[in-house]
Amino acid sequence: MKAHSTDGGLAVDVDGVRKNYGRRIRALQGVSLHVAPGEIFGLLGPNGAGKSTLVKVLMTLVRADEARGSVLGHPVGSSAALEGIGYLPEHHRFPAFLTGRQAVEFSGAMSKVDRPTRKRRAAELLDRVGLGSWMDRKLGSYSKGMKQRAGLAAALVNDPKLVVLDEPTDGVDPVGRREIRDLLVEMRAEGRTVLLNSHLLSEVEGVCDRVGILVQGRLAAQGTIDELTASSRRYEIVIAGEAPVWCDAETRIERVPAGTLQGVGIAGAATRLMFLGLDAHGAQPLLDRLRAEGRTVVSVQTVRESLEDLFLRAVTDPSTGLILKPGAAR
Amino acid sequence: MTQTAAIFLSAYRELSARRLFWLALVINVLVVALFASLGINEQGISFLGWTFDSPFYNSTTTSPETFYKSLFVALGVDWWLGLIATLLALVTTCGIIPDLVAPGSIDLLLAKPIGRARLFLTKYATGLLFAALQVTVFSLASFAAIGLRGNVWEWGLFLAVPIVTFFYSLLYCICALVGMLTKSSVASLILTLLAWTVIFSVNLSESIVVAGRIANSLETVAIEKELTAGVTEDGSEPLEESDLETLRSDLQRAKDNRVDWDRAYFWFHGIKSFVPKTGDTLELLDRWLLASASMPTRDPDSERGPQRAFGPRRVKRGEYERALKEEERSRSIAWVLGTSAAFEAGILLLATVVFVRRDY
Repeated sequence: MKAHSTDGGLAVDVDGVRKNYGRRIRALQGVSLHVAPGEIFGLLGPNGAGKSTLVKVLMTLVRADEARGSVLGHPVGSSAALEGIGYLPEHHRFPAFLTGRQAVEFSGAMSKVDRPTRKRRAAELLDRVGLGSWMDRKLGSYSKGMKQRAGLAAALVNDPKLVVLDEPTDGVDPVGRREIRDLLVEMRAEGRTVLLNSHLLSEVEGVCDRVGILVQGRLAAQGTIDELTASSRRYEIVIAGEAPVWCDAETRIERVPAGTLQGVGIAGAATRLMFLGLDAHGAQPLLDRLRAEGRTVVSVQTVRESLEDLFLRAVTDPSTGLILKPGAAR
Repeated sequence: MTQTAAIFLSAYRELSARRLFWLALVINVLVVALFASLGINEQGISFLGWTFDSPFYNSTTTSPETFYKSLFVALGVDWWLGLIATLLALVTTCGIIPDLVAPGSIDLLLAKPIGRARLFLTKYATGLLFAALQVTVFSLASFAAIGLRGNVWEWGLFLAVPIVTFFYSLLYCICALVGMLTKSSVASLILTLLAWTVIFSVNLSESIVVAGRIANSLETVAIEKELTAGVTEDGSEPLEESDLETLRSDLQRAKDNRVDWDRAYFWFHGIKSFVPKTGDTLELLDRWLLASASMPTRDPDSERGPQRAFGPRRVKRGEYERALKEEERSRSIAWVLGTSAAFEAGILLLATVVFVRRDY
């Protein structure tokens, strides 16, 4: 497999994408999305947030009211851009009368891949996704997971620079999910850019370099998981007894009720001290001081928001503290 | 070209995966076998060894060449290809456009580097593949049958391929538009059949009006001739005053009716100009294959009287039928095909615009 580049530019570089359905539904409200070449970008969001609409705009299935920018260095929706993209839609429906091999070859032909190449790649890719012994059977006889694998092979037949996958593990068993995740990592290693649209946060967290969270048609957050959770990173020290008096106002203090800490030999109450923005190096003087005071240090750990916490924070209305209703803005 | 070829190959695979396609193909061969088993000799028509005497259809009035060509056009094209095979084709292909625009299916195609209009029109063309393949097989089998039985190798039979395919396309464009708008195979089939009924009714109404108008015209000329001659039809004795009065009255009525026929013709012919000429299109084959052949015709002097609706009373049956045929064949091919093609282009343009502008 060859490595791909987009001549130094971004693989996806779009700004101000707007799409309204009628006068009431504002599916996308000026979304800007920037995906670097060779990275796996996870697109997250609650149902109806506009993820699929955004993907469909990039794939020309939906005509945006407004969209500036480029995909693989070409205008959004242009034929040149589409030639370099492999796409697996969410509820894809390959014709049941085709065999796996015919479906992948058809996909290749539609992407203008020459006949010898698409025949060779169809066999290679079906073998790679574990359908080597099924490639000459009709798709109608495939399970959902097998269709998903065939779809992945079809998405890769044109040796794409950008692979857009909409819920690729939908209907796939845990082993298959693992294999697909491995395949995504292989794609990245080959230099391909992957735009992954998924509801499964653990899946996204496991493979994505960067994520974007869409909420009601707006991109609420975009960056690496580390970047997005940096503000929530903290150092937690649990000690037996009360909090020392020298803890300043920036230290969050949480009482741990008696009996909560099982198996650590603490009979009475304990206290959890949370030092925001502190790393292991910065925590050492605090530990020294606690030890000097003869306090029992029960546990020490660095804590960061999970992707789920981040996601929930993004979909929470800061003014009310309530989860925003799913669906597009109206 | 790679993409077009791939779409057609996929369409062929889809057709060949359907039993109805193979069933229709088998019936094609059976229909040809049926008329190949018919023969013509001096006594009349033969069928599998039996001979049915016919003074009108025998080898002295009709050559084997004309006989088989007539069978090809009347039985093969008008009935089998023009009606039954067309129905089978519509049932088989009515789902092509709804399947194309179905969620999950359209995504796979629009994400490819192919223009929407080209994609839609290519898929539309694949819908004609069923009809084209069926009529090609039928023409090929008929060519062999007529060659072997009538000893005539008539290449003109293959004109049926473009003509019948064009005829089918006139209906299929409606099917495609309805399929595009409703995304439903059943709705597109039902509404296409409904449209076909309307088109048939318009064409039939117009042909009735044309027949009535010609009858009126011939009747008027016949009365005027009789009045001018002033003798009975057989010329043996002069007409009496009461007969002359009756003739004058009939002439006046015929002239009065002429205004109504002209008005009806204006409207029906006008309406027909905007709808596809399905019947006239198939009739072109009859015109090209049989126009120069020695078809048995009625003796113009043999009979008189109204054999058809609105037929003239004073005109011989053969003369009236000849006038009707002449009128039918006087319609230019450009008018028949041109106005039909314009209708199809209009429907396709509308369907393409809807397809191109829609979000999926």
